[in-house]
Amino acid sequence: MERRRWWIAPSILGIALILALAWGYNEYRTKNELGVALENNYQRLFFDVKKHIENVQVNLSKAMLANSRDQNILLLSQIMNEAYFAQDKLAQMPITHAETAATEKFLNQAADYSYHLIQTHLAGKPITNEQMAALANLQQNSSAFNEELSKLQSELADKDFLFTALNAKQNKKIREANQKIFQTTLVNIEKNMAQTPELIYDGPFSDQTLNKKPKGLDNKDVSLEEARRKAREFFGANRVEEVESFEEGEHASEMRIPSYTFNLYPKNTSRELAVYMGVSKKGGHVLWMANPRPINANKISIEEAQRRALRYLEEKGFEDMEPNYYLKYDGGVLFNFVNTEDDVTIYPDLVKVKVALDNGEIVGFDASAYYMNHHDRDIDEPELTLEQARERIKTDFEINSSRLAIIPKGKNEILCYEFKGKYRGADYIVYINASTGHEEEILQLIHNENGTLTF
Amino acid sequence: MEGGKKLKKRFAITTLALVLVFLSILMFYEPHSLKEATSRYNYFAPRVLYWGTQGQDVKNVQWQLVKWKYLIGKVDGIYGPETYRAVRRFQAKNGLRVDGIVGPETAAALGITLSSTPVSAQGVNRQGDEYLLARCIHGEARGEPYVGKVAVGAVVLNRVRDPRFPNTIAGVIYQPLAFTAVADGQINLTPDKDSIRAARDALNGWDPTYGCLYYWNPATATSKWIWSRRVTLKIGKHWFGI
Repeated sequence: MERRRWWIAPSILGIALILALAWGYNEYRTKNELGVALENNYQRLFFDVKKHIENVQVNLSKAMLANSRDQNILLLSQIMNEAYFAQDKLAQMPITHAETAATEKFLNQAADYSYHLIQTHLAGKPITNEQMAALANLQQNSSAFNEELSKLQSELADKDFLFTALNAKQNKKIREANQKIFQTTLVNIEKNMAQTPELIYDGPFSDQTLNKKPKGLDNKDVSLEEARRKAREFFGANRVEEVESFEEGEHASEMRIPSYTFNLYPKNTSRELAVYMGVSKKGGHVLWMANPRPINANKISIEEAQRRALRYLEEKGFEDMEPNYYLKYDGGVLFNFVNTEDDVTIYPDLVKVKVALDNGEIVGFDASAYYMNHHDRDIDEPELTLEQARERIKTDFEINSSRLAIIPKGKNEILCYEFKGKYRGADYIVYINASTGHEEEILQLIHNENGTLTF
Repeated sequence: MEGGKKLKKRFAITTLALVLVFLSILMFYEPHSLKEATSRYNYFAPRVLYWGTQGQDVKNVQWQLVKWKYLIGKVDGIYGPETYRAVRRFQAKNGLRVDGIVGPETAAALGITLSSTPVSAQGVNRQGDEYLLARCIHGEARGEPYVGKVAVGAVVLNRVRDPRFPNTIAGVIYQPLAFTAVADGQINLTPDKDSIRAARDALNGWDPTYGCLYYWNPATATSKWIWSRRVTLKIGKHWFGI
C-alpha cells in the first residue's frame, strides 16, 4: 500500500508547479504584449504631434505670404485642423498637465484664432497689421516648438526611450533618465509658450472670453453676515433652521463670480438634505440655489410647473422673463427663462429654474449666466426687414415662427432674426444677422419625451 | 508506523486541497477579466436605459417585461428598483450579461428598438456623456456630499471649455495622469443614483465651483504641483482651485 502511494504527493506538486509556470509565462507574455502595444501607441502619438506641428508651422508661413482671400482661407482651415489634432494627441500622451498646459493652450488658441481669421476673411474684412503680427508670432512659436521636438526626436532615437516607463513603477534608473530628457524639452517648450503675448480676438478659447467679468452685479460689497441673511430670506426665513458657510480658500476673490457659498438646513429635515446657495460678494445677489432632495411622484403637469416657476421669478424680481426650453429629469423639470426687452428675446440673460413635480416646490435656481451678461443694452433698430432676412434662408426650410433675438457670439452679442422651423423632418433654428444679413448660427433641436436639447 | 501513515495521508490531502484552490483560481481568473473587458465595450452603446432613466423607451421595456411576467408592477416609464430587478431576471434567463442595463442586446432580446428620431438626429444625444461623467464622479467623489459630486462634474466640464485641456468630456476624463480614479480603474464601477443625478445637474449648468479647474484632497494628494494652485473653495474633503 505505502509503496504504491509515495509518489502521489510529489507528482501532484510537480503538476501544480508546471501549471504555475505555464500560467506565469502566459501572464508575462500578455503583460509584455500590452506594454508594447501601449508603447507603440505613445510613439505614434509623439510622431504625429511632431508632424502636425510641422504642418502648422509651414502653413502659417504660407498664410503670411498668401495674398488672395481664397488661398488664405484654405491655409487657415488647415492650420486650424492641424493645431487641433496636435493638441488632441498631445493630451493623450502620458505627461502631467503641469508640463503641457501652456502648450495645449497655445495649440487650442492657434486653432481658434485661425477660425476667427477665416470668419474675418469671409466677412470681407481685410487682415489688419495686428493680425499679421499675431500670425508672425504664432509662426515663431510653432517653429520654436518644432525645433525642440526635433531635438527630442533625435535624442529619443539614440536612447532606449520608453514612454511607458515615464510613469510606470519600473526600473527607477531608466525612469529617471527618461524623465530627465523628456522634461527638459517640455520645460523649454512650456517656457516659450508661456511667454506668448495674449492673442486679441473673439472666440471661445480667447483670453478675453475666459477672463470675462460679470456685468450684471451691483457694485456694493456685501459682508458674510449680510449675505447669510440674504440667503435665508431667499429661501424663506421661517423655513431655515441654520445657515452654514463653506470654507473659503486664499484666492476666493479669483472665482469667476466671487461669492459666498452656504449650506442651508431646512427645518424638520435631516441634515443630510441640505440646500445649497451661492451669493455674490458684489451686490449680494443669489446666483444659484439647489435643493437636491429626492422627488418621488409626478403629480403636477409641466404647464403648472411653468406657472409656478414664472411666479417664483417675479417674486425674486425678474421681470419680463420668457420660458424657452425645458428638460424633465429625476422627477423635476428644468426651465430655461430668458429676458425680453421691447419684444426682443435676449438669450444671454438666462435664468434656469427647476421645479419638483411632486409638490411644485422650486428646487433649483441658477442666474449666474444672467448676472454674467445682464446690462443696460441699447438695442439697435434692425437694418433689414423680416422679409429681407427671410430671403437669406434656404427656400425649402418650413418656417413656423420668427422674431428678433440677441444671441451671444464669443464675448459679443448680436441682434438677429430668429427663424424656427423644420427641414427634412428635423427641427432647426436659423439666426440671420439683422444688420448684415449673415447667417450667424444654425441650431438643431433634438426632442424627446423629456424635453428639448439644442446642438 | 501508524503516525507516519497518518502524517503522509494528511500531507496528501493538504496538497490536494492546495492544488484544487490553485486550479480554481486559474480557471476563474481568466473569464472574469474577459467579462470585464467585454462589458466595457457595451458602455459605449448608442442608447442605453439604466437605473434612473425615464420615458417612453422605459415604458416599452416595462410593457414587454410585464407581458412576459418578469415584472409585476406598474408601467410608469421610470427605471426604478423593480424594473432593474426584472431586467436582471430577464437577462439571467436569456443568457445575456446580467447587469440590469438595457443596451442594444437586451433591447433586441426584448424585441424593442430604442427611440425613433429623424435621420439627421439619430443617435445624437447626451446619454453617453452623461453616463461617462457619472462614472467619473462615482470613481472620484463617492463619499462626498451631493454638492461635492456636482462640483467634480463641473470641474470636468470647465476643463472642456478651457484651452489648456482637451476639448471633449472623454478627452478630459481619460487624459493620462489627470484623475486617479481613471488610472486605477475605479471609473469602471457602476455609478450609483446620486452620481447619475449629479452628472445631469452638472451638464445642465450647475457649477458650485464658480469656474474651478482643479480639485484635490489635501489628505491624499501626492503631486507637489497641485499645491501651487490657487485655492478658492472647500467642498467636502476636496479643495477647489484655479
